[in-house]
Amino acid sequence: MQPKMKRNIQRTIAQICLILASVFFIIPFLWMVSTSLKPITQVFTFPPEWIPNPFQWSNYVDATQYIPFFTYLKNTTLITVLSTLGVILSCPLVAYSFAKLEWKGRNVMFAITIAVMMIPMQVTMIPLFLLFNKIGWVGTPLPLIVPAFFGVPFSIFLMRQFFMGLPDTLRDAAKIDGASEFRIYWQIMLPLAKPAVLAIGLFQFMNVWTDFIGPLLYLTDETQYTLSLGLQQFQSQKGTEWGLMMAVSTMMTLPIIILFFFMQRTFIQGITFSGIK
Amino acid sequence: MRKTRIKLVKCNLLLLLMAFAVLVGCSSEEGAGSDNNSDSGNEEGQTTVKFWHPMTDTSGDAVEEVIEAFEKQNPDINIDATYIANQGEGQNEKLLTAIAGGNPPDVAYFDRFEVASWAAQGSLEELTDFAEDDGITKNKYYDFAWAEASYEGGLYGIPTTTDSRLLFYNKDHFDEVGLDPENPPTTIDELEAAAEKLTIKEGNRFERIGFIPWYGQGWFYGWGWSFGGDFYDPSTNTATADHPKNVEALEWMTDFAQKYGVEEIAGFTDSQGDGAMDPFLTGQLSMKVDGNFGVASIEKFKPDLNYGVTPMPTPTGKDHTTWSGGWSVVMPKGAENQEAAWEFLKFFGGEEGQKIFSETSRDFSVIDSVNEELGYKDDSIFSEFINILPKSNARPVMTEGSLYWNELADAVENATRDNGTPQEILEEVSDKVNEALEN
Amino acid sequence: MKQVTKNSTMQTQMQGSFAKPKKRAMLKNSSIPGWLFASPWVIGLLLFYAFPLISSIYFSFTTYSILQPGEFVGFKNYSDLLHDGLFWESIYNTIYFAVFFVPLSIIIGIALAMMLNMKVKGMSIYRTMFFLPTLVPHVALAVLWMWLLNPGFGLVNGMLEVVGITGPNWLGSETWSKPSLVLMSLWAIGQPVIIYLAGLGDIPQEFYEAAEVDGANWLQKTWKVTLPLLTPVIFFNLVMGAIGAFQQFTLPYTLTQGQGSPANSLTFYVMYLYDNAFKFFKMGYASAMAWILFVIIMALTAVIFLTSKRWVHYQGK
Repeated sequence: MQPKMKRNIQRTIAQICLILASVFFIIPFLWMVSTSLKPITQVFTFPPEWIPNPFQWSNYVDATQYIPFFTYLKNTTLITVLSTLGVILSCPLVAYSFAKLEWKGRNVMFAITIAVMMIPMQVTMIPLFLLFNKIGWVGTPLPLIVPAFFGVPFSIFLMRQFFMGLPDTLRDAAKIDGASEFRIYWQIMLPLAKPAVLAIGLFQFMNVWTDFIGPLLYLTDETQYTLSLGLQQFQSQKGTEWGLMMAVSTMMTLPIIILFFFMQRTFIQGITFSGIK
Repeated sequence: MRKTRIKLVKCNLLLLLMAFAVLVGCSSEEGAGSDNNSDSGNEEGQTTVKFWHPMTDTSGDAVEEVIEAFEKQNPDINIDATYIANQGEGQNEKLLTAIAGGNPPDVAYFDRFEVASWAAQGSLEELTDFAEDDGITKNKYYDFAWAEASYEGGLYGIPTTTDSRLLFYNKDHFDEVGLDPENPPTTIDELEAAAEKLTIKEGNRFERIGFIPWYGQGWFYGWGWSFGGDFYDPSTNTATADHPKNVEALEWMTDFAQKYGVEEIAGFTDSQGDGAMDPFLTGQLSMKVDGNFGVASIEKFKPDLNYGVTPMPTPTGKDHTTWSGGWSVVMPKGAENQEAAWEFLKFFGGEEGQKIFSETSRDFSVIDSVNEELGYKDDSIFSEFINILPKSNARPVMTEGSLYWNELADAVENATRDNGTPQEILEEVSDKVNEALEN
Repeated sequence: MKQVTKNSTMQTQMQGSFAKPKKRAMLKNSSIPGWLFASPWVIGLLLFYAFPLISSIYFSFTTYSILQPGEFVGFKNYSDLLHDGLFWESIYNTIYFAVFFVPLSIIIGIALAMMLNMKVKGMSIYRTMFFLPTLVPHVALAVLWMWLLNPGFGLVNGMLEVVGITGPNWLGSETWSKPSLVLMSLWAIGQPVIIYLAGLGDIPQEFYEAAEVDGANWLQKTWKVTLPLLTPVIFFNLVMGAIGAFQQFTLPYTLTQGQGSPANSLTFYVMYLYDNAFKFFKMGYASAMAWILFVIIMALTAVIFLTSKRWVHYQGK
């Protein structure tokens, strides 16, 4: 009886802590949603009002007309899905080789992988643009998609950390059975790392979904624009259309929230031993 | 249990991917379709002029109207306009990369302030010959606008819009503390007296501040010129930030900061940059310096505000002045269809294009007669802005304009926060800018 | 940089139960599969990274302005930087930010992840909520914070007043602007928290059960089981956190409209680099700044990597 009560008390305390903390973290999102439903005159009243009065649902309709929302949505989806696919295909493979295979030059290559993240993109973006310009990719979404298929350092590093946690015993056993390296990777190691793969997929999805500078530089036709470029169109010298802008922002975050909500159980569950137990 | 869940997730992901694939299919078809459209608009003998602009909202509509009128008059030219985020005001990544890559648009809507530095970099096509051939001269435009679009005697842009900065004051507040709302301050002393009267302080906290010199558009350029100072000597190509009158102006601002406590004031100026959070609109600030675009945000967020505008006060109460910025249309280096592009520039900056643009965007024209025709001079608020334009200044036409701007903004912050004396700080600004000019 | 850990006694004990055979010698083979697996990235590096990086090294020795190739000036950009006051100020600001932000983000991130790893009803909703701030656009975050931190009517000072503290001027004060930014950045901690959560999920329940049998309390379990086994992800977040903190750009740039106000107290290294590159036409100078930053971060990361042998424990070994 007693341990049960103790557990109950612990749970209640935990719940209260969680609720308090989540209130703190949900503020920006609530503000965004609440602003998205306000008429422009109500956005900055003093003291701030959290509940719109009246609820201006028309902001959502207006926002999708102010910019070609659905065209931008399609474009953003195309770029994001393909580049996420690229990262999911390439990064685990490369990371596996850094974590579990032994090869000459591995440590140097890994050091280079970390090092390329240390140079701010502000100085490499011009030569990179000139490169894509030379091969005629400027004006197409290719520069935003193709590099992902060759790997992204952040995701490679993260995947490597997770592969490092997988026991060598598995690999050794399969090796003795005569399995090829690729089969070991594809049939044993990769399935075990699936949650981590989902995690890097989610991060890539988020980054590309909200990327601004990439689409700005490489897309030159308004029919190819993405939502983050659309978001800028609500700002002008005469002020910002806060209600409409936040309506688009809210709609933009929904796919990620849904994706996250359904994926979090999986990728937070154990990686290493889920398949062994 | 876990396995089934993973399977479920797998199914979900697969479904999502399929849905995306369908979307992708649609979008690529549509993309192809619209490409065809723009091609078919390209009839035989028609030249397409690529035009990049950052205008949205009413200014965006105005751009479209100008293009429509232009295409009607020039059936052989087709303007392909594209909205570009972040073009102007020091952020031109896209235009920069496009010019560097040799693939620029034929025409770009461009912050006039940056014409000189871009021209010095050889990244704009010179328009002098085009203008001479078509008899376009400076006489039509406000002096400062033409000067700002030129560099070392050559013309590099056609001015399109302008603005000016004045003192805004809340008439209700003036009534409330016994100041005459029809007689706003004209001298610096009057301004200070009014500010003191209008300020309400409760304990350590301001309920209301009468005036903050550097708030809104109270950039140092405006105060320097109002105090009789100057910033640049074109004959020697040197910055004169430490002009004695400029030092006086900065000393005045510093005294102001000390009197009211710069950190307490900073709470009010946090929101700088967005019309909606403007303390002048919420009644927490009684006077501010702002541009004519500030009028638009008042109309939008607080249409019933009872306010007036008057020139920025000067030490003597005479020789009122201000400074103006604005936009222009330019031809980036490497523009393909220069003849057709020039026709469009000429139209945009001519009386007809100016009238269409200014009427819809409510930005002032760079041609005085157009502003008169559109009735800006009859409007009690707008007329004040227009009337000061002939006496207005433009920021120095030099290659280091952006650096100078940043340095002056820092100078005000540092002086008001006591990180050095105004004299020292402005000398440093001159030194730094002059060093950059020499290189 | 071999990542073989010297197992702590704790870990050796634990792994005893898995009876791992250590017969690596017989499995040694050639380097070919390794290179093959890594080949997409090696090709990617050559295609998309090599040219831009090498160009930027070259640019750092020239007066390249993006629009003009400029001249070769040797180490002038580097020596000029040493005499550039704002350069030093931006280094100070950036190090200040990193010193406070990186450790705080790790401590708070782990604490949050442990909270979110409890078995409580509705956890997926809580987890989603913690993730939300990372999804709000920066422009909106900036405005919201100015609002919350406003000394006059802001929520934060309002709450401080309730407990009898007169709050500072936050973003208006040279002293408090950087702490404010640390606070704001901690809000968007969702990504590291997810990584910690994944790491926590990785820890086999058996270890806790074993510890419980030994009579360990919560604190002991955290200290002896959770944290050591979380070190691979802590290591990742430490390295990435340091790299990110030194390249802090978007939030302060949006917040101050590029001015770094008040009085340059929010001018961070990459903000100044950006201004040089894109506003002042000094891409050569900016490239020199980038490579100095590279050396700083590289040195820091090297220290982290070298010490990692002592404190990072990989279960797989």
